[in-house]
Amino acid sequence: MATLNPKPASRLPKDFSALECWLDDWELADSTARHEKRLTTPLADTRAFYDALLPQAEAVLAYLATRKLGKLAANDERLLKLMLALAEIGPAIEWYGTGDYPDAFDARRFPLTVTLSDTAPQGQPT
Amino acid sequence: MNEKVTLTPANLTLRHPELGTGPVPADAYWKPGFYQRELDAIFKRAWMCVGRVEQAAKPGDFFQKPIPTFDFSVIVARGKDKQLRAFYNVCQHRGNHIELRDHGHCVAFTCPFHGWTYGLDGKLVGVPDEQAFFDLEKTKLRLKELPLEVWEGFIFVNLSPEPPMTLTEFLGDHGKDLEGYPFERGTAIFEYEGTFNCNWKCMVDSFCETYHVPVLHRHSVKDTLAGPDNPHGRLIDIRLKGPHRTQSVWGNMAYQPNPVQGLAFRNAPGPSITSGAVDESIVLPKGLNETRAPNWSIDVTVFFPNWIIVMGSGMYFTHQMWPLAPNKVVWQMRGYMRPATNAAQRFGQENSMVELRDAVLEDCNTLERIQSSLDQGLISEFIFHDHELALRHQYHVVQQWVNDYERDLKKTKKAAKKADKKSVKNK
Repeated sequence: MATLNPKPASRLPKDFSALECWLDDWELADSTARHEKRLTTPLADTRAFYDALLPQAEAVLAYLATRKLGKLAANDERLLKLMLALAEIGPAIEWYGTGDYPDAFDARRFPLTVTLSDTAPQGQPT
Repeated sequence: MNEKVTLTPANLTLRHPELGTGPVPADAYWKPGFYQRELDAIFKRAWMCVGRVEQAAKPGDFFQKPIPTFDFSVIVARGKDKQLRAFYNVCQHRGNHIELRDHGHCVAFTCPFHGWTYGLDGKLVGVPDEQAFFDLEKTKLRLKELPLEVWEGFIFVNLSPEPPMTLTEFLGDHGKDLEGYPFERGTAIFEYEGTFNCNWKCMVDSFCETYHVPVLHRHSVKDTLAGPDNPHGRLIDIRLKGPHRTQSVWGNMAYQPNPVQGLAFRNAPGPSITSGAVDESIVLPKGLNETRAPNWSIDVTVFFPNWIIVMGSGMYFTHQMWPLAPNKVVWQMRGYMRPATNAAQRFGQENSMVELRDAVLEDCNTLERIQSSLDQGLISEFIFHDHELALRHQYHVVQQWVNDYERDLKKTKKAAKKADKKSVKNK
C-alpha cells in the first residue's frame, strides 16, 4: 500500500513561508557568523537577499514584535535570524556597495568578544 | 539650508589661551622614552575603569579585567560583607593566577597550582600541608589589593597603592556633571576588541573630533553627524574640565534613515546612538549636551587618560585604549543598550551593533598610516583645527601629568637624600 508523503513542516511562520528559500544560506548561528557571511558573499547574492527581504520586513517586524525573547517557537527563531542577517548586510548595500570595507580594512581584526544571544531573554535593570 | 541651523563659530580654542593655537609637537606619539614616562606618570597613577557594579552584583560574584598594558589581570569580587574589592590575580605562594574564569560566583578563590585558598576579602584561609612550611605568616599573605572606588556604577581601580587623589577628586566636575544618567539601564552589552598599530593617543584622538566625519565617514555617518547644513563637521561645543574633556556632537535633524536603518530605529528598545532621537523619558544630566542645543546627537566624553563614553539619550558605548608600545594599542569598544523584550527589538539592537562597528572600522587604516608617518619621522608636528581642540588639550594634559610627576619625584628624592646626609652627620 502506498504511503502518503507527509507534508513537510513549514520552517517559518505561515505568513512568511515565501522566505524559506533564504534559510539555507542566511540562517546563521550568531553575530560573528553573520558578519563572516557578509564578508565572504558576492555582493550580487547579498543584494538578492536584501531585495527579497526588505519588502516584507515591515510585516515581519510587526509579527516579531508580538514574540517574546526566550519564548520563541523554532519557526519564529528562524524568521528572527533572517532579520538579523538583514541588519548585518544593511550597511553593505546601503552604505558601502561592497561586502567588505572601503579602503580594504580587515574587519576580522576587531571581533566581538562579548555578544548578545539572538534569542534568549535579556536581563532587565534591577 | 535650514535657517534654524546655526553652527558654532571657530573660536573654541581661544577660550583656552593657555593651550595656544600653534602646531603641537608629535614626539609624544612615537618616542619610546616618552612612552615609558607616560606609563609611570599616568597609567600607574590615574584611576582606570575596570567594569560595572552589575558584573559583581551579589556576594560571591566576581569578574576579571585584564590590563593589557601591564600584562596582568585584576579580579573584582563582592565579599560576604557586600563590599567590592579589587585584587591582582596572583597567588602569594608562587605567583600563579588564582582564578582562570573571566567571571563567576564562588565562596573562595583556590589557586589551581597547589590549592592555596583565599577568601573573597583576600585573606589567605587555606594552605594544604601547612605544617611543612617554615614560619608561614598567613595574615601577611593576603591577596594584593588595589584601591577601588565607584562612580555612577562604574568601578575604577588605581595601580598606585596610594593614589595621588580620590576618584571623586580625579573626576571633578566632569564626573559630577554626568551624575544621574541612567547608565544602569544599559544591560544588553556587547564588546569588540582588537590590537592596532598606533599610539594610544592617536586612537583617543580618533573619537575626539568630527572634522574628519564628512570626508572619512562619507559612506556612513556623514549625513547624520554632518550633512548639508554642517558640511565640515563642526561640533556644537567642547568643554574641558581638568584633565577630562567632552565634545557635543551636532546632529542632522533632517536626516532620513536608509531603509534597513529606519526599520531598526523604529524597533530598537531605546533610541539608537546613530538615530539622533531623544528619549523624552529621561532627564539629561547637566553635563550632557550642556548647551542644550536642539540639534544635538551625542556627547563624546573622555575620562583621562584612556576611557571614553559616547552617550546618546537612549544608549551609550565606551572605548578603552590600553597601550602596549609607543605604536601599539589594544582597543575595546563596549556597547550598553536597553534590553530587548521582543524579537523585533532584538533586530533593532543588531543594527546598532553592526553600524557602530562598521563606522569605527573606517578609522582604522588611517590610524595605522598616521603611525607609520610618525615612526618614519615624516611628520614632526600636528596642526590642529579649532574644533580639534580636544586633541590639543590631550597633548597638554599628558605633558602636564608627566612633568608634574617627574618634578614631584625629583623633589621627593632630593628630600630623601638630604635626610640621609643629615642622619649620617648625626651618627
